[in-house]
Amino acid sequence: MKKLLLLTVLSILFVLGACSSQEKADLVVTSFTDELQEPINKFEELHDVNVDLQIIPTENYTTTLRPALESGEGAPDVFTGEIVYLKDWIEQDYWANLSTDPYNVDAWEDDYMDYVWDLGKNSAGEVRAVSWQTTPGGIYYRRSIAEEVLGTDDPDEVGEMFSTMDGLMDVGEKMKEHNYRLFPDEGSIQPYTNGQDPQPWVNENNELVMTEARLSYFDYAKELRDKQYTALAPAWSPAWYESFVGPISYNVGWDELDEDAEDADKTEVFAVSLPTWGLNSVLKEEAEETSGDWAVTNGPTPYFQGGTWIGMYKDSENKDLAWEFIQMLVHDEEFLTEWVTETTGDVLSYLPVTTKISEDFSEEYLGGQNHYKFFLEEAQKIDASTITKYDQQIGELFGTEVGNYVEGNVTKEEALEEFYNQVENAFPEVTVPE
Amino acid sequence: MAKNNRRAYLFIAPFVIVFLIFNIYPIFLTFYYSLTNYSGMGGIANAEFVGISNYVRLVTDTYFYEAFLNTIQIWGFNFVVQMLIALGLALLFSDIRLKLRGVSIFRALFYLPNIITIASVALLFNILLDWNHGALNQMLLSLGLIDSPINWLNSPAYAQSAVALIGAWMWFGNSFIILLAGISGISRDYYEAALIDGANWWKSFTNITLPQLKPILLYVLITSIIGGLQLFDLPMLLTDTRGAPQGSLNTMVLYLYNQAFRYNNFGYGATLAYGLFIITVIFSAITFRTMYRREVR
Amino acid sequence: MKKISVAKTFIYIALVLLVVICFIPFYMMIINATRTNSEILQGFTVIPGAAIFENYQTLISYMDVWRGFTNSLIVAVSVTILNAYFSALTAFALVVYDFKWKNVIFVTFLVMMMVPGQLGLIGLYDLSEALGMLDTYWPLIIPAIAAPFTVFFFRQYLITTMPMSLLEAGRIDGASEIHMFHRIVLPILMPAIATMGIFTFIGSWNNYITPLVILRSPELFTLPVMMGALRGSPVASNLGAMYLGIAISVVPIMIAFLFLSRYIINSISSGAVKG
Repeated sequence: MKKLLLLTVLSILFVLGACSSQEKADLVVTSFTDELQEPINKFEELHDVNVDLQIIPTENYTTTLRPALESGEGAPDVFTGEIVYLKDWIEQDYWANLSTDPYNVDAWEDDYMDYVWDLGKNSAGEVRAVSWQTTPGGIYYRRSIAEEVLGTDDPDEVGEMFSTMDGLMDVGEKMKEHNYRLFPDEGSIQPYTNGQDPQPWVNENNELVMTEARLSYFDYAKELRDKQYTALAPAWSPAWYESFVGPISYNVGWDELDEDAEDADKTEVFAVSLPTWGLNSVLKEEAEETSGDWAVTNGPTPYFQGGTWIGMYKDSENKDLAWEFIQMLVHDEEFLTEWVTETTGDVLSYLPVTTKISEDFSEEYLGGQNHYKFFLEEAQKIDASTITKYDQQIGELFGTEVGNYVEGNVTKEEALEEFYNQVENAFPEVTVPE
Repeated sequence: MAKNNRRAYLFIAPFVIVFLIFNIYPIFLTFYYSLTNYSGMGGIANAEFVGISNYVRLVTDTYFYEAFLNTIQIWGFNFVVQMLIALGLALLFSDIRLKLRGVSIFRALFYLPNIITIASVALLFNILLDWNHGALNQMLLSLGLIDSPINWLNSPAYAQSAVALIGAWMWFGNSFIILLAGISGISRDYYEAALIDGANWWKSFTNITLPQLKPILLYVLITSIIGGLQLFDLPMLLTDTRGAPQGSLNTMVLYLYNQAFRYNNFGYGATLAYGLFIITVIFSAITFRTMYRREVR
Repeated sequence: MKKISVAKTFIYIALVLLVVICFIPFYMMIINATRTNSEILQGFTVIPGAAIFENYQTLISYMDVWRGFTNSLIVAVSVTILNAYFSALTAFALVVYDFKWKNVIFVTFLVMMMVPGQLGLIGLYDLSEALGMLDTYWPLIIPAIAAPFTVFFFRQYLITTMPMSLLEAGRIDGASEIHMFHRIVLPILMPAIATMGIFTFIGSWNNYITPLVILRSPELFTLPVMMGALRGSPVASNLGAMYLGIAISVVPIMIAFLFLSRYIINSISSGAVKG
């Protein structure tokens, strides 16, 4: 009995020990998407090493990774950060300072778009993280549907129709007449509400900034819903992805749908607002079937969304290898050119490559469109000064309340008041209006 | 008896040491944090001592009261449904006139949802209850039971009921087994005597079964209260992890978790832990008193 | 008599109906695990689809659910064994010996049984950080050594079932105390150990909040944490793969339960009456 028990306990402890000290990868990279898988494969090949990519979903990314970075327990060698919490993270001592020897990245400054470079710098002027991409947004739409309903699939002409909110709603009406839906969900209109008057969520006095432009999201979202210009497929849900491939089920009951029942419970989505990386990580990834039928154009206002920065953990034991990897990812002309032109179509912030490829880029997925040129122009309009460390959480809270209003659960006033209360509750240091 | 007491210390040493380090110390540490504005980041040394201001915030925090009410509502509804089903089943299976067969099979089948990871169940219902594309609405629609999909997880009443009913579905089997064991333990003589006295079913239920079952019912009640006050996995993973719709699934532990680990308010999260503790003590005290009174009689 | 058999038929029908209702969610889960995303979005059917292999590929390319299974098993088994052994040892000391602080310890138990586990959560997190134990299983397993409720249960059990004379006899034969614990006390306690073991195992198997707070590396995730991480992951864009992931986390344990059910349920029944 005794021996048996002891043996069991010991063997389990042994297994435990074995697990915690299992064969280590040469380099551990943590990120919130799988977009780095391909560069990693390439890197493994080049250097004959074993790199472990750990993906933590965006939803849990900061809550999970942050404690590890604080304590060093289970911290990766290289990790990425999204623009919405980048501001916060570069001020913490998480990423190693790249401005010092032997990295001296300050010499690279002129190779990058200014705002991208500056965002990786902390208040002391040290570069902690770098990025390869720029992330202006636009509206991606289906060429075949544009042709059928609007009579043209030309990005400039469609962009002209999209250039005002009223224009967007007009297109929505036309789409509805043909049993299409303008957008999968109401979130696609948000960029153009805030885009009218870009302001940070929290200003330097720690005050929450509420603008008319932001408030207009309530009304536009409600309008889209009430007029049935959306397909009720919430962003990032399975239905949302499915709506880029073909018709999706649509049954709202309260609506007296056209009685020619056949397709009344199905609808197809025309367009979606997504930034540059949406092409690679959403459309190409999840909607291969409609490849070639897409194009991208401007919305009523410019905007930008997301963006991945990368750096190495300050106490990493594999800094040399980590540095090699980062260099390849953000500063290797050959690699970047190949990566972008052959697979992702992602828009780079690394100027030596963009100047080389932007003139005659042709993206097959977008029916041969040169989206590079379009997005590089849009990138000029990016004003990164509105980014704050609160963006992710406050943005989520705001989106939830707008959702409650759109669903008809609460009035606009109630939603707004609840939003203020939630912000105050989550961030006691922030003062909310009135 | 008093012999070998030095060995006794040795035997209880692992317990006491681990207990002090992993139970008592964290509780005191939590209390200390509740007096600071510690963010959970950058070490406690960077935090300020703020006295009882977190506790002042706690007693005026409408979200805390809301979380308390949510928890109680969900637990209450869950408990009533769960106990009605469990008690009904236990009475059926213990009825001496019916002599139902297959007790062990039914016990096993009803108990089964108990052993399944709650996180899996929550995730499963998160997609089953989806408004436009969830399997439940699809099924109800195709059976013609509803004309338009019901947005279950958008309505506070539906969402709270969903948590309560999913809980009841998971746990009624456990209560059923315990109650059945309790009823089976009641001596047959009582019932036979009652039968001779001409007592009907209801009379013997209220006069024999219920009083005899009281200790077991209280046991089920206490474990259910303590578990219910700690409700977390199901409301967290059923919707957006922040207690949607409209905060109706924001339970006390979920609120604690989000304050401490999502918004990095460790200090206030620690205070919420003590709020939860005080509420648990009050509820347990009430139940213990009831139990004590029974024993005095 | 006839009345009763009619009533019985109705009761059986009702019971079977209840079982069916209980299993509908699992049925939907298993059916949908075999269908593609677009099939699932179109509507529910009662016939399985043919996409189970594709779904499995999608799921496994992102998350190794079997790994989560192993991890959960390692943690739950360790917790159950440590909990049983050390609680028995402590209960043994409390029942058999007299020593200073005995009552203090006992009263502390009673108080601690009321303390919700979440009270120390934040402290435990920081303690683990200080001890360098974040992102390991230690903070999940070691606390199992000190489980007041189990000790309390074992103590009650020992008081009613253990004949002291047996120990006296052992002492006269010159057996050491620890030897007697292993040879005499543990076997006597076995039914109680089985009962509490089941509860402890299920409790650890289902524990979500502690591993959620402590673990970070995906390869260490226990099953509940993995399920939580499945939301918002790339897998979530494919409902079929989601259903399959949930099914994998659920079905093996269901099968294991059906084999052990008679034993488990008898333990619970007896535990309930004694406790």
